[in-house]
Amino acid sequence: MSLAALTPSTSFLDPSVLARIGNLELLAKTVVEGFINGLHRSPHLGASTDFAEHRAYMPGDDIRRIDWRLWARTDKYFVKEFEAETNTNFLIIVDVSPSMRYGATADDGRISKLSYACYLAACLAYFSSTQRDRVGLATIDNDVVDYVPPSAKHLQQILHALDRVEHRARDGRVQAGKSRLLPPLQKLSETLRRRSLVLLISDLYEDAAEVVDALGYVRGRGNDMIVFHVLDPRELDFPFADSSNFIDMETGEKMPVIPEYLRKQYRELVREHTTDLSKRVGEARADYALFDTSKPLDRALFAYLAARQRFNRVR
Amino acid sequence: MSFLAPAFLLGLAAIAVPVIIHLIHREKRVVVEFPSLMFLQRIPYKSVRRQKIRHLLLLILRCLAFALLAAAFARPFFERTQPAVATSGAREVVILLDHSASMGYGSRWTSARAAAKKAVGTLAPDDRATLVLFANDAAVATPPNAAPAAVAAAIDAAKLTSEGTRYGAALKLASQIIASSKLPRREVVLVSDFQKTGWTTHDEVGFPRGTAITPIDVAAAASPDLAVSRVTTDRDSAGPRDHVIVAARVTNTGAPDKPVSVSLAVGGRTVQTQSASIPAHGAKQIAFASIAVPNGATRGSVRLTPDSLPEDDIFDFTLAPDDAVPVLLVEPSGARDNQSLFLSRALAIGDRPSFRVDVKSASALTPRDIDGRALVILDEVAPPGGPVGAQLRNLVQSGSGLLVIAGANGANALPADWRTVMPASAGATIDRTADAGGTLSSIDYAHPIFEIFNAPRSGDFSTARFFRYRALSPSAGASVLARFDDGAPALVERTVGRGKILEWASTMDAYWTSLPLQPVFLPFVHQLAQHAGRYADPRPWYTAGEVLDLSRHEELTAAFTRGAADSASEFVVQTPSGAKIRATATGVGHLVPLAEQGFYELRGRDTPVGGGRPMAVNLDASESDLTHFTPQDLVAAVTGSGAQSAASSDLETSTPQDQERRQRVWWYLLLVALLLLAAETTVSNRLSRATS
Repeated sequence: MSLAALTPSTSFLDPSVLARIGNLELLAKTVVEGFINGLHRSPHLGASTDFAEHRAYMPGDDIRRIDWRLWARTDKYFVKEFEAETNTNFLIIVDVSPSMRYGATADDGRISKLSYACYLAACLAYFSSTQRDRVGLATIDNDVVDYVPPSAKHLQQILHALDRVEHRARDGRVQAGKSRLLPPLQKLSETLRRRSLVLLISDLYEDAAEVVDALGYVRGRGNDMIVFHVLDPRELDFPFADSSNFIDMETGEKMPVIPEYLRKQYRELVREHTTDLSKRVGEARADYALFDTSKPLDRALFAYLAARQRFNRVR
Repeated sequence: MSFLAPAFLLGLAAIAVPVIIHLIHREKRVVVEFPSLMFLQRIPYKSVRRQKIRHLLLLILRCLAFALLAAAFARPFFERTQPAVATSGAREVVILLDHSASMGYGSRWTSARAAAKKAVGTLAPDDRATLVLFANDAAVATPPNAAPAAVAAAIDAAKLTSEGTRYGAALKLASQIIASSKLPRREVVLVSDFQKTGWTTHDEVGFPRGTAITPIDVAAAASPDLAVSRVTTDRDSAGPRDHVIVAARVTNTGAPDKPVSVSLAVGGRTVQTQSASIPAHGAKQIAFASIAVPNGATRGSVRLTPDSLPEDDIFDFTLAPDDAVPVLLVEPSGARDNQSLFLSRALAIGDRPSFRVDVKSASALTPRDIDGRALVILDEVAPPGGPVGAQLRNLVQSGSGLLVIAGANGANALPADWRTVMPASAGATIDRTADAGGTLSSIDYAHPIFEIFNAPRSGDFSTARFFRYRALSPSAGASVLARFDDGAPALVERTVGRGKILEWASTMDAYWTSLPLQPVFLPFVHQLAQHAGRYADPRPWYTAGEVLDLSRHEELTAAFTRGAADSASEFVVQTPSGAKIRATATGVGHLVPLAEQGFYELRGRDTPVGGGRPMAVNLDASESDLTHFTPQDLVAAVTGSGAQSAASSDLETSTPQDQERRQRVWWYLLLVALLLLAAETTVSNRLSRATS
């Protein structure tokens, strides 16, 4: 079943509407609860609590997980294991590099990629915390900017961290310079002690090969990886008309451009890039999804759930 | 096609502006922040920058508009098709012979006449020649169609003048003669010493196409000269009043630095001699010891040791005793204390002119008191009747002045004879004590009385307060020179015969006004008295070439006309060469040309020879400046090319209408440029809407 077929009519999940909600927690609650209500008929919900097997108790296991009925029958300690781990480590990595600030316009109420990423991160963090998952957050550009370790109690810290990201971006205090995924992801991979589900939200302005190399550090430690590629519609369509000086938001580099003469080539290059990313990320056994910031957030939630379902089977 | 102002064609460079806008500036107009140029940089550079010129139609419109504007400002005009310059046939030759004073230097005059006669000698039987003698002005010296022999005779008869050099006048006259000629070949022969001071670039002269201009330069390579360029006669303030100090400025244009003798002669007798060394290309002021001024106007001269140009080694002037302006101040019988004090004290100050003030009581006034006065002041006294009044009116008619101060008592009851000549009738007294006094608010600064106060910081009348004054009603023919701040006339003037009557509404002491206590009072009273008394500062010397206007020089004619009712008195002006010119103080003969160096003598009809008023006339000082300029520069300026025979512009010979018609192109260019700009606006608006 495709993601589009699963998408309910959730107009309140429109990013421009959500942008009017100042509080990220309220925003996440609105989105997630609305999303869950729309998924009541979904066959995927609850799959994560199915019983899998018993195993012998080992010192250090939580005694609350001992199956006392089986002990009564066998006089041996067994602990229950379920097919899905209900308290998964979930780390959300948000790219806060300058290029992510692109997209906010006051006239048509569009939001920036960074805001979209923050909303997405807040929703997913809220969604995961409702499932008792340990949720963490890392914001990165060239390095790790902010890090909230995964925990079941860190939702508020995560929401505050996301809020700070948005404030920093509005104040223009985002570090300039060409950002690379490899250094921060390398560092983060070393901090993850437990196997985790890692979600990267970025605009991925790097070669697909470099992106996959960076993801490799996370994947190599046994973590599951989801990549959300966030782009503004104008980055995809290149609708500019007037000849202009284009300034790279990360490097400050300038370039005179006559859009009408290179729009076609640009679109082709972006399409090739996304296709390449999808292919290479898939080959690296990670999930990849491209998001247009004008589209509702629920599609992202669906993508997350689908990925998580698949990863749970591994456990 | 040519251009009147080709410099404006530089404006064509402005075409680069729209090109730059289309090529570069337009791309830089919008700055767009973009997340990453990663993909854009992968696109080949050529495809990013290629086809930089957009909206070609707009670019063409803009470039064309600029080009047409530049062309319009350059004022294009179409030259008429000119007939080919004739190389054969009869000639129209105009010989311009310089007979200014500087031609007297060395043998220049002899050489010049020889050169002119040589030019006459080349005339063929069919040729026509005209001799034009020029100095400050130019005049044709030969009759029309004169034979070569007559022209040569005119050259022989020509004499040097004392005037300066002005090439413009001569060339314009030659241009007119040439333009009116039908002969195929035209030639101008200019014989001169080519003095630099005689030619200015403002002399816009042009000759018909094909006119050959042949300059003949008679000046030597170097022309060292010593000259007396100026003499001043200042009153000796340290000594007795009738002494003056004569100072002469001697210039040296290249003569060796050696002592020269400078002598001062007064009344034909050398009174002082000094030896001075004048540095080459320098000047020196030589002051003689003060001398007593003889009675009557006396001739004076400063002389140098004669050199190559002896005419400028003499500088003549006149010395005259200080002619004090006779003023009669008439007080009322019961005058206030010090009523005339301010006036009499103010008039007692100064020596150019000095005023000789006599104060008389109105009750004791007799006709003899009035006789010979240049100015009578009635200080709050009504104009007298009877014989004294008649005498006073006659005095005014003959050119003297009358100042009536209305004040508290003056001009109350006017005799019938005075009503027709008074500038205003005095009415009720206006009291301004309640509002701290009035001020003078409207002053005719163009009037001779007030013109010296027109410059900044040259007298402030606004500080003077007028607490009371009479309401003056100006009569017909009178002019109000100053008004109070309520609009009431303060000073009214009327011309009566050759004289003037002025009426002042307030007082001239501190009784009704604070004016006498202000700094402006003294110059105001002096200006008032000089104007009413028709005083003119006598000039010690004039410059050759000037025209003397006797109607403006009362000081010269006064001795021969005062007392005479006939304003058109006849004079005789005898020139230094002995010629006699009939002149009048007013009317047709009041202008006397001063062409000769030396002393002119102005006499009345019955004045014996030698008894008249001498007037010194000197060379134009610029004639002593013998700096030479290249004749080719002059030829180039009047023909538009350096060649001596050149095709000059034909603008001088065409009618203004013709010129206007041929220059009218710029109107059309400007119109088309405006239409293009309008089209550009429309097109750019549409394009802008389409792209937005």
